Amino acid sequence: MAKEKSTAKPSSRSIWSGSITIGLVNVPVKLYTMIRDQSFSFRLLHNVDGQPLKYERVCIRDEKVIDWKDTVKGYEIRKNEFIVFKKEELDAIRPESDERIKLDKFISLLSIDPVYFEKSYILVPDRSEEAYSLLMTVIRQEGKAGLGKVTLRTKEYPAIVYAYKGALILTTLHYANEVTNPVELEELTKLKNPSKNEMELAGKIIKELSGEFDITEYRDGYRERIEKLIQMKMKGEIFVAQVPKKEEVKELMVALQETIKQLAK
Amino acid sequence: MRARINIKVAANNSLIFPHIEKVIMIDELTRVSFTNLEKVLYPELGLEKSNIIKYYISIAPRMLKFLKNRAIVMNRYPDGIDKEGFYEKDAPPGIPPWVETFNKYSETAQREINFIVCNDLDTLIWLANLAALEINITLSTIDNYETPDLLLFDIDPEPPCSFDDVIEIALSLKEKLDELNFKSFVKTSGKKGLHIVLPIIQSYNFRQTREFVHQFGKFLARESELVVSEFRNSRDPGTIFIDYLQNTRGKTMIAPYSLRAAPKATVSTPLEWNELKKGLRPEEFNIFTILKRKSDPWEGLMENKQSLEVN
Repeated sequence: MAKEKSTAKPSSRSIWSGSITIGLVNVPVKLYTMIRDQSFSFRLLHNVDGQPLKYERVCIRDEKVIDWKDTVKGYEIRKNEFIVFKKEELDAIRPESDERIKLDKFISLLSIDPVYFEKSYILVPDRSEEAYSLLMTVIRQEGKAGLGKVTLRTKEYPAIVYAYKGALILTTLHYANEVTNPVELEELTKLKNPSKNEMELAGKIIKELSGEFDITEYRDGYRERIEKLIQMKMKGEIFVAQVPKKEEVKELMVALQETIKQLAK
Repeated sequence: MRARINIKVAANNSLIFPHIEKVIMIDELTRVSFTNLEKVLYPELGLEKSNIIKYYISIAPRMLKFLKNRAIVMNRYPDGIDKEGFYEKDAPPGIPPWVETFNKYSETAQREINFIVCNDLDTLIWLANLAALEINITLSTIDNYETPDLLLFDIDPEPPCSFDDVIEIALSLKEKLDELNFKSFVKTSGKKGLHIVLPIIQSYNFRQTREFVHQFGKFLARESELVVSEFRNSRDPGTIFIDYLQNTRGKTMIAPYSLRAAPKATVSTPLEWNELKKGLRPEEFNIFTILKRKSDPWEGLMENKQSLEVN
């Protein structure tokens, strides 16, 4: 039960269709969203009458509301100095979605550092069951991932295609320049080599705490508390906000209580 | 001397900013006799005494409630802020009969001091005419002088600490106060620091309020390397002192909306807590900008007196 609840339902519509291309081979596919952000969102209301509020574009200088049609895009080169682009200018250089996931080579799936993973999508066959099945089976057996690129909406991404639970998955990757190299952090240049004894002790601890990866062991406690609160509010129960006091603040509380008591006349 | 200041007021003379309706001569409004109106008090900005008087008239509707029934200590700069000023507790000679005073024996001065009490617009204008640019108030009222009704955390940075550092510490203090269910109010000092004030019921002595603030200082000093809680460390470079010592009988703080004797004519300005963000500069709040602020974040401060019991 817990396991079922812990996965998101598939969406009903594909968001993209095209082909995986490897050299001259094409495998037509459709793309479904895989990752559903489950964080809670609230609407902003006016506290007087509960009316929902909307965002508007407001001029910084005279606070007038500006229509979308009267806007252009500006790139700030220095403070308050902008280079202006018209929509047509940007459209002209926008990458075209060529409806292809172009795979250049196959690499070991495990050789990819997880820091590059961006977002994952499910690929399903688009009247190409045989080819799809063949591709999935062979890369699963070999433990490989196809590496290439894809254009989604208006952005071109490096991406990998690999097998997971009987499906091909497309995972977009970050570009190298989007990922910070830890070497550049000064704090990491002063690390000492641990001693043999320390290593042995630490190794023991790790061994004792070793286990299997099971993501369902982790829950978003905040979300669950909000859900509970919504249920309570819907039933008309009154909720008294209680901010849990941290241990250190309790200490301060005691000190303050003593102060007030001891110094009273 | 005939006053030549024009002042814009609402038709009913209530001086409520910004509903400006008519222009009247200032001496139709006040009993104060003016002197040296053209005297330049802020040389860098070219502000004359008449500008200072106008400022205090315009801010009076917001400011007077914080001065009410408190002993005033003035910092006077009759020759402008570039010249030496002096601070004055005692009412100066020749004080008009309508200015209220409060007589109290001072242990430090070892004599009776005749404090000024500023309960009306005329007295405020009169103070401005004395070039009392900085108006300080006690943390207790004259009807209960030994018993504070305000508790002050004076967050005082020592260079090279920045105002951003001060903001960070103030917000962390606010967080603790919130957790303990205290309602706090914040203002700029007009110089480098911030003042956090708790209005309190008149049931405690100054030793209690002083030590209360000191406890918070000690607590924050353990959490942050920037904070020092003890007076002996208060001048250590790059630290922020949570000054608790102002919570003492007869000590004062700069009044909300008082000008400071600083080159940019800054004002000790009450803020909303959510205005306090990194990048804010105390110089943004000055004689030119204050009157444009739409509301008083300290509105209701005096009605929020709270107990210091924690539970």
